Amino acid sequence: MDPITAMYVAQGIHGLAYGMVLFLIASGLNVIFGMMGVLNLAHASFFMLSAYLGFQFVSLTGSFWLALLLAPIATAVCGVLMERFLLRKVHAFGHMGELILTVGVAQILLASVKSIWGSESLPLKMPPILEGQLAVAGLNYPIYRLFIIALALVVLVIMALLLYKTRLGMIVRAAVSDAGMVNALGINIPLVFMLVFGVGIWMAGVAGVVIAPILTVFPGLADQVGMDAFIVVVTGGFGSLTGAFVVSVIFGLLSSYGIQFVSQFAPVLIVSFMAIVLAIRPHGLFGVKE
Amino acid sequence: MNSAVRGMCIVLCLICQTFPLAYAQTPARAAFDFKAMGDMSDFDPANPVIPTGDTIKIAVVASFSGPAALVGQIYWASAAWAAHDINKRGGIMVDGKKKLVELIKADHMSKPDQAKKITERMVLQEKVHVLWGTDGSNLQKIINETANKYKVISINTASLSDDLQDATNFSRYAFQSTMSAEQLGRGLAHYYGQIKKKEKKFYILNQDYSFGHVLADGFKKGLKEYYPDAQIVGEDYHKLFLTDFAPYLEKIKASGAEVIFTGDWIPDAANLLKQARQMGITLPFAHIFLDEPNFLHEVGVDGTNGLVQISQYGTENPAFKTPEQIKYYKTWNDLWKNKWKTPPFNSRLFEHGTGNIGSYIEQTYWLLSVIARAQSTDPEKIIAVWEGDSYRFTNGKVIAMRACDHKAIQDLAILEFVAPDQQKQSFNIPPYYWYTGTSAGGPTFNIPAKAVLPLMDQNLDRCKGKSAAG
Repeated sequence: MDPITAMYVAQGIHGLAYGMVLFLIASGLNVIFGMMGVLNLAHASFFMLSAYLGFQFVSLTGSFWLALLLAPIATAVCGVLMERFLLRKVHAFGHMGELILTVGVAQILLASVKSIWGSESLPLKMPPILEGQLAVAGLNYPIYRLFIIALALVVLVIMALLLYKTRLGMIVRAAVSDAGMVNALGINIPLVFMLVFGVGIWMAGVAGVVIAPILTVFPGLADQVGMDAFIVVVTGGFGSLTGAFVVSVIFGLLSSYGIQFVSQFAPVLIVSFMAIVLAIRPHGLFGVKE
Repeated sequence: MNSAVRGMCIVLCLICQTFPLAYAQTPARAAFDFKAMGDMSDFDPANPVIPTGDTIKIAVVASFSGPAALVGQIYWASAAWAAHDINKRGGIMVDGKKKLVELIKADHMSKPDQAKKITERMVLQEKVHVLWGTDGSNLQKIINETANKYKVISINTASLSDDLQDATNFSRYAFQSTMSAEQLGRGLAHYYGQIKKKEKKFYILNQDYSFGHVLADGFKKGLKEYYPDAQIVGEDYHKLFLTDFAPYLEKIKASGAEVIFTGDWIPDAANLLKQARQMGITLPFAHIFLDEPNFLHEVGVDGTNGLVQISQYGTENPAFKTPEQIKYYKTWNDLWKNKWKTPPFNSRLFEHGTGNIGSYIEQTYWLLSVIARAQSTDPEKIIAVWEGDSYRFTNGKVIAMRACDHKAIQDLAILEFVAPDQQKQSFNIPPYYWYTGTSAGGPTFNIPAKAVLPLMDQNLDRCKGKSAAG
């Protein structure tokens, strides 16, 4: 592969890698909104919290893999507690209460990480096995970014299987369609929603740990990716996992090739894409009109 | 040995022996007085002793909350150090009475509306005499406007925009004691063209806002002036708080660049360097803010080797030139080691009272020296002393205030980052390195003030017909 072709191919993979990180965050946000109708504005803060917890687990155990396993679970537990003891109480009073509550939780999480870990940037090293470059046909590409793509695809497959091939997934989908009817059948709907909320936060948690080695773990982490994730959710369509996936990939590729060819307009390209999609399909690319 | 050679040796020996003395005696109207320094053993930035009553009040206007809260703590520790020292000396004689220096935290939260509110509150309710700022030129502009409106002094120790003191924004009450963006760009160009004379291909990657563009313009202008053979092989501006730098780095890799020039600050600067090294890009970075020790340790000795930083604090090597300066340095460093236990002041960031922290401290000492010589908190008297004033820092560096537009004139320094075992040429006292886990300043080069004079706006009436040297 000649160097120019290698550069274009690498840009494509960069786009995919960033798209996959966005997918992990956005899909969690999307799952929660799609299933529960809750717009969780604290979602990116849980992503940040997981990065900090990842740092903490690596500091305690020295193992990135343990951190990748435990930090998202711990974050999901925090999310579940929030759902059980805060969100559920305001859920019945509509979206405004939820929005205000989740903004409040985001602020609490921010203040908490600052008081526990301080405001400085913290290091989370990638495992040695994922360091370095993979050389294929004249293209040198960082192994860690390939790992991110692979991990996101695994999560996507697991989520799809869970939703469409298991009894639990069937219950969740039924509850989304008609929660009252499912409840009448004796299924504990609040428990199902709590589970869904936990899974959504877990996905953000995975993204938080996975992105930490290429970013700085600091309190502004949520702001860095929160808006991008929100654009993905809106453009892909609230509640659509497929939409989140497709738009994340488009977002990543637009960003990557935009920087390559029309650098100064790269951020505009993404917003323009969102505007065009919403102008044609106000409920998003894969969203269902209610 | 013949007499001519012997004579030359004697002259050389004399030059070598007298150099530190000659350096320390660069003319200045005032200087830091080591002998009068107070007992700092009880100083702790987390628990400062703040005098009250009839005091000289200074509001440290900074981001004490929000994502940039750490920056506020850096400013606070720096200003509080100088204030504590002066208070331990007994305070400053103003208006016929010795007064202590009282610092007040004023949190602008990085928000313009809050900056306006808090600075007005500081002036109208707290009755501060000085507004000390800040991180962000847009916020410094608001501080200066408040200073101008209520006729109090403002000192800009950290905001780098060139237009803060131009014809549109100039205020008699505002003083920019820090360097400015265009100067930095020219300074780095001077280093590559007149000192290093090696790399010729540069890729500019800056944040996409006024500072990034002005800095790049200064660099390009400097290259034309000092390094006509140099080539800009690429130029990009990215959004603030970017997550993924890989697409930019891929372009840089393909461009054939020999140096990446960036004015990015943390976290962008950290992520840029980290991701570059992860992608196997080993090019040197010419930078300003890639000096935060925590993330430098994360990148490690090899990854940070070869970084080139422009600084307003440094001087030619060695860093510690006199016993008094060494004692002064150790006072800070010992307190950091033994006394400061509260985050963030117990972290590596505060280990050395040099670099940016050193600069903020010295600028505060300068301000307090001006007030002392004005013998008053009357802004008119302070202005009269400060315009055209010069002051010698603890490390021997002399800084001057251009009278017509209140911009600081000063030498700048270039630091080449080297591995710990080579840092002795700079860190010339035990343990002979700045850090063990990262490269840091080694070879240091002076950029003379005349090569990096701050921009002067000839549309400002006070500056019409004046040379850039003022």
